[in-house]
Amino acid sequence: MSGNPDSGIKLVMAVVRPDKLSDVKRALAEAGAPSLTVTNVSGRGSQPAKTGQWRGEEYTVDLHQKVKIECVVAEIPADEVVEAIAEAAHTGEPGDGKIFVIPVESATQVRTGKEGTEAV
Amino acid sequence: MLTPLQIDPTAVASGVNTVWVLTVSFLIFFMQPGFALLEAGQVRAKNVANVLMKNMMDWGVGVITYFLVGAGIATVAAGVTSSGSYSIGAAFAYINDPSGWVGWLFGAVFAMTAATIVSGAVAERIKFKAYVFCIVVFTAVIYPVTQGITWSGGLLAGSGYIGAALGVGYLDFAGATVVHMLGGVAGLVGAYVLGPRRGRFSSSGESQAIPGHSITFAVLGTLILCFGWYGFNVGTQATVLAAANGGLTFNGAALGRVALNTTLGMGAGGVFAGLTSAYTEGKPDPLFTANGMLAGLVAVTGAVPHVTWWGGLLLGIIAGIQTPIVFRWVVNALKIDDVCGVFAVHGSAGAIGTFLIPVFAVAGFSATQLAMQAVGVIVIAVWAIVATYVTFTVADAIFGLRVSDDDEFSGLDQSEHDFTAYPEFVEAGGAGAPSGGQAVATDGGEAE
Repeated sequence: MSGNPDSGIKLVMAVVRPDKLSDVKRALAEAGAPSLTVTNVSGRGSQPAKTGQWRGEEYTVDLHQKVKIECVVAEIPADEVVEAIAEAAHTGEPGDGKIFVIPVESATQVRTGKEGTEAV
Repeated sequence: MLTPLQIDPTAVASGVNTVWVLTVSFLIFFMQPGFALLEAGQVRAKNVANVLMKNMMDWGVGVITYFLVGAGIATVAAGVTSSGSYSIGAAFAYINDPSGWVGWLFGAVFAMTAATIVSGAVAERIKFKAYVFCIVVFTAVIYPVTQGITWSGGLLAGSGYIGAALGVGYLDFAGATVVHMLGGVAGLVGAYVLGPRRGRFSSSGESQAIPGHSITFAVLGTLILCFGWYGFNVGTQATVLAAANGGLTFNGAALGRVALNTTLGMGAGGVFAGLTSAYTEGKPDPLFTANGMLAGLVAVTGAVPHVTWWGGLLLGIIAGIQTPIVFRWVVNALKIDDVCGVFAVHGSAGAIGTFLIPVFAVAGFSATQLAMQAVGVIVIAVWAIVATYVTFTVADAIFGLRVSDDDEFSGLDQSEHDFTAYPEFVEAGGAGAPSGGQAVATDGGEAE
């Protein structure tokens, strides 16, 4: 049934260091939630700004390169997925990223037309 | 018994030398893609197509102008500034003389190299129409006059008025000043008349970096230029075989000296620009290193057949060290936005290298020659400054020199060519438009 806020489907959206992507992918596979979408993003958070140089002139980069991982889950509990990502992406330094869990109203699988948890 | 084949050594020498000149002309032409990549890499993605367009016009508009007008003007300029006689008809006779066309092409590839240098200095804000006008003037008058007063036997040559007065001719073998300093100074003056890019200097006059979009393009362009430069320098040693006394002499030592000095200058320029940037910035800078390779080449371009091997090495070292320093001086002291650093690479490096030829000369030091070198560098620099200033001022009056602030903000690819160098999400054949009715559906109405 589409349009149901209690569909039981959740979007886990994580922004992590690009060099931790492989670890996160492995952790998600081990947690039983291998499906994901990855986007290159830039963002600002607790990580201090860094400087670059062009022809001897410094410029400041306060937007750091990150990857955004989107992972929609139904049968696997979202907090397990969050835990897997958090563990895999952790370094302890500022700039490790953030993870958000967002309720999903509906889901449809394009190939089969299946809806709801079956589509996930 | 074998009878030796009877051949005319003069014809053999002429044939081999002409084929060599053609070959190096093609190599020098290959500096054009080098410049295109070098400049494209140093500008932002929104101005790439415009920079490439300017580079293609440097060649296209330039060769037509140099064929119909420029090469003849060079001969006229030589005749006017020397005691020799000349006629306008004879100066333009090459246009209908097929035997002169290989020589014309060899001259043309040097002229177009000079023209292309200017493009890098004035990038990212000059109006395309105004730029094309400047190319025409540059290849019709500014470069040809410089060629005329030097290589064609005018003012600074041994037969020219100044050369005859001092008793020596100006030395600039392959064009460190005739081609490179001319282009570098013209670029600097053009960038000055044009004004800096928006955002290049803060409201209080502090310089702010505008990084280019691809160091890969810039360095690859540099290395392609280095390759073409072998044609530029070694090819200027145009006589490979000399016919004399019924026999043939191979000029292997002369070719070897220009090839070695070209190579050492290039290497030393890159290494010492990198070292200088490591000293001034804390880490070796890839772009300054690339610029230094070219500056090293420029510095030895006038000197290659005249100086010792260690002279070539030292010229490269000096050129490399001055590259980051002169670039910063142009920005911080002159407040001129020379985008690709053409003055530091082609201008100052060419002037220093050519002035110092007598200091490292194989033939020994000559104070008279040094004086001639100083006069020559000054004459060409003053000509470049005055002629370019007038040209850009006239272009401003006719076309307007700069694009509007809005166009500069959105990029010259869009404003000058309606083009995007790196398009994304482009629909093939209008797919994605709603069936029936207008081509594109947006909440903001039709495309302008």
